[in-house]
Amino acid sequence: MERTQLKNISISGSGTSSGGEYNQVKVNGSAHIYGDLTCEEFKCNGSAHLEGNITTDTAKINGSTHFEGDVKVKEMTINGSTDIDGHLLCEELKVQGSSSIKGDVKGKEIHVRGSASVQGNVSSDEVDVKGQIKIKGDCETESFEARGNFKIDGLLNAGTIDVELLRHCEAKEIGGENITVKKTGDASGLKKLIKFFMSNHTDQLTAEVIEGDNLYLEHTHAEVVRGNTIEIGPGCDIKRIEYKTSLDIDQSAKVGTQEKI
Amino acid sequence: MENLISKKDLLEEANISYGQLYRWKRKNLIPENWFIRKSTFTGQETFFPKEDILLRIEKIKTLKDDLSLDELADMFSPSPTLTSLSAEELTKRNIVSNTALEMFNNVHGPTKTFTFNQILTLYVLNSLLQTGDVNRTEGIDLLKLFDENEQNVKNTGSELIFIRKMGVSFFVLTPEPATLFLEPQAKKIAHYKLSQCMEELKLKLS
Repeated sequence: MERTQLKNISISGSGTSSGGEYNQVKVNGSAHIYGDLTCEEFKCNGSAHLEGNITTDTAKINGSTHFEGDVKVKEMTINGSTDIDGHLLCEELKVQGSSSIKGDVKGKEIHVRGSASVQGNVSSDEVDVKGQIKIKGDCETESFEARGNFKIDGLLNAGTIDVELLRHCEAKEIGGENITVKKTGDASGLKKLIKFFMSNHTDQLTAEVIEGDNLYLEHTHAEVVRGNTIEIGPGCDIKRIEYKTSLDIDQSAKVGTQEKI
Repeated sequence: MENLISKKDLLEEANISYGQLYRWKRKNLIPENWFIRKSTFTGQETFFPKEDILLRIEKIKTLKDDLSLDELADMFSPSPTLTSLSAEELTKRNIVSNTALEMFNNVHGPTKTFTFNQILTLYVLNSLLQTGDVNRTEGIDLLKLFDENEQNVKNTGSELIFIRKMGVSFFVLTPEPATLFLEPQAKKIAHYKLSQCMEELKLKLS
């Protein structure tokens, strides 16, 4: 079959489309799309509502978009706000605005500079949070880096976990190879400002269980911490520690029982 | 109740670290449903089905030098690999015997190339014939059973059990884990976990 050149759609003002296959889809006003959409490029500067699934190479949301189905995309940038009722499958995701995803998120690189909330599980090679992320399920990634705020209701499982505490971070369980939790020393203007408004929040990590090979923890509250080499820094409150090779505890840390296994 | 092992005991017995266990979980080398959460005096703990997990870890440890973690995950995954092999290839590589092939062809008509699921059927049949657990007629019954329940065989997590009572024999195909209570005269001749057969087969095919 001869493949015809794909067309573009551009909706400026208010318009509707039944979906289909396109090269470029651009929404500058308000758009309602009733079916599935396949395109190379999706760009929304206004508001868009898509009732079906979308498959695209790039998606850039500068306004607000609601996807009722699944989103499959190579590169997605969210500068405005996005709601996805289905799953999100992407290679690179950048959230600079706010987004809420009801399904799972699967990706290679996930950068959150704004705020993201995920009802399902997150799996990726790299998760980098400099804003806020909330995950109802598990988060599995090779590297998890947080300079912001996170709340994970399930398991945070990563090769390297590097957390610089800002406000209250939380995960039910944390497991990995190298886990570092530190409180930032430098108080930049922005952080001072944030602290001023969020004065009732202390910089702290809470988890039930933290397990890993090499752990360094500061200002961490946990029921159980298990690992090979463990270093407990200032501000920790841990009920029970099980270690294999070595254990170092800062004077100001509160530790219940400790056992070498 | 199945024989369970706690995470702590598992690490010690298998001689692996937390990091390795979590890495393998991340890579889907260990199925999600093997992580069983239970309450203990130190709060929630994770337990595993002992035999399955120890066997799996043993396999990962012996194979991880030759295969990448992704390749391993592929091998352990319940979805079939996309392979189809010819009859000559199957016998040449010693995966199934001529007898099994001949029986398969008698039931399904002559086939030149086999899909992964067909190879799995052949593999199980071959293994049952080799051990002498089933005879030819029973083997044909097995082929028919697999044929009629293709969907169930595909979505593994199935177990195949072969029972004989006073010379009368039959197959049972049931979801995993199977718990069967047999009357005293009935004898369980063979018991296969299809997911394990699939792993063995994938290893042979790779």
